[in-house]
Amino acid sequence: MKIIILFILIFQFSHVNADEIYNLIKIPNLEIYKLKNENNIRYLNTKGNFKIGVDDNITCNKTNQENLNTKFPTIERNIKRYNSKFLKKINLKYVVFCEGLFISNINTGGIPNNKNRTLILDINFNEKYFERMIHHEIFHMIQNSYEDDFNDQKFSLFNNSDFEYAECSTCSDRLNLDLYENTNGFLTEYSKSIPSEDMAEIFSFLMVNKNLIEEKIKNDSILNNKVNFIKLNISKIDENIL
Amino acid sequence: MIKTIKASKSEKILFIFLIVLAISAFSSFFLLKSKCLFIDSNDLKKLNFKNPDNIAVMNLECGNVIIELYPEISPKAVKRFKILIEKKMYDGSAFYKVVENTLVQAGDIEFGNIKYLDYSKIGSGKSGLGLLKSELSDDFEFTEGSVGFARSTEFDSEDSEFFITLKNIPIYQGEYTPIGKVKFGLDILKKIKTGNKAIYVLRPDYINTFRMLKTN
Repeated sequence: MKIIILFILIFQFSHVNADEIYNLIKIPNLEIYKLKNENNIRYLNTKGNFKIGVDDNITCNKTNQENLNTKFPTIERNIKRYNSKFLKKINLKYVVFCEGLFISNINTGGIPNNKNRTLILDINFNEKYFERMIHHEIFHMIQNSYEDDFNDQKFSLFNNSDFEYAECSTCSDRLNLDLYENTNGFLTEYSKSIPSEDMAEIFSFLMVNKNLIEEKIKNDSILNNKVNFIKLNISKIDENIL
Repeated sequence: MIKTIKASKSEKILFIFLIVLAISAFSSFFLLKSKCLFIDSNDLKKLNFKNPDNIAVMNLECGNVIIELYPEISPKAVKRFKILIEKKMYDGSAFYKVVENTLVQAGDIEFGNIKYLDYSKIGSGKSGLGLLKSELSDDFEFTEGSVGFARSTEFDSEDSEFFITLKNIPIYQGEYTPIGKVKFGLDILKKIKTGNKAIYVLRPDYINTFRMLKTN
């Protein structure tokens, strides 16, 4: 048995070039895009397509350098809004850029991974929602780090008793990301999918268009309670984020 | 009268082939044996140090590697490193993980000693001194010759394994606990046997002795 294990260990070929990054965050084919930043975030670029996750269910392709250079200032401007202490608290250190991000064959804008302190971003995600998507995904990292504060069941109680969320975020057809004219407790159709997406939608709107949300909650008591819930719990982590 | 017999053309070719084979076999044997040729072994008598208390000397096949330790950056890690050195626990420790021109790693006390290598468990061995909290520094740059404590994928899992970088690895900054830097002997480290493209090295090079300069 030991000989078999030895044989397997010896012949696991390693790729020297991206090894150091792979050892840290378990994503192959990456290179450094920008390492030194005020808030200690590290930006990594995909130089070759990668497949990761259970049964390689997460796939993404390498970026076009020109495309990334064009979009990077927007990404950087948004991520700069989080200071290093906050990022450390939510376990975010690496932002990985790629194009055409899929999870289980479903296109997605970003995939957060608290364990590896990584947020994968699809730089080709719909431009209309791109900035908001960044904050939406960051909220998932916040929630994963502070599960008790952002408890799904506690949050669901703000809704009318006859409302039910879907079983999961991708098993409903509630996917539209446009802001409702009449909110009725929800900012977008996607907010109605599951509680964590509802919270992430609120947080992302507060980050990109706070004034508009402050207007909306004046006539929507359910939404008002939800927004206050998010603000209160975020302020427990850092008073200056919202 | 003895007749001289001329060698045939094929016999001549065979003879030349055998000579070439013998020369190449001899020269490759000679080259393999002499991997330490032209390497300065760093004679301690010829070297002076400002702070000898924090100088460690790792003796390898090709000579001495002199490491300056940085207790001001990582006090607990350096203290542990010194204890392991003083207890001679690194003696015989194999460089089982060697990535050519990138890094060398040794220090598995339990499963990585040359006398009792266990490839099925190597990298998971313990020193018996307990795990350490990571002492990360956002200012320490992992340039060529940096010495750091290895850890598992989790922080606060440092024990005895250490690595030495053979090139600049900026991504390691703030990720690994720094211990010190190689002052002399980087060329000796570059001669350590690699695993080619395999993760672990078969019949690896190892540390003969590891001592603090003052006790050397």
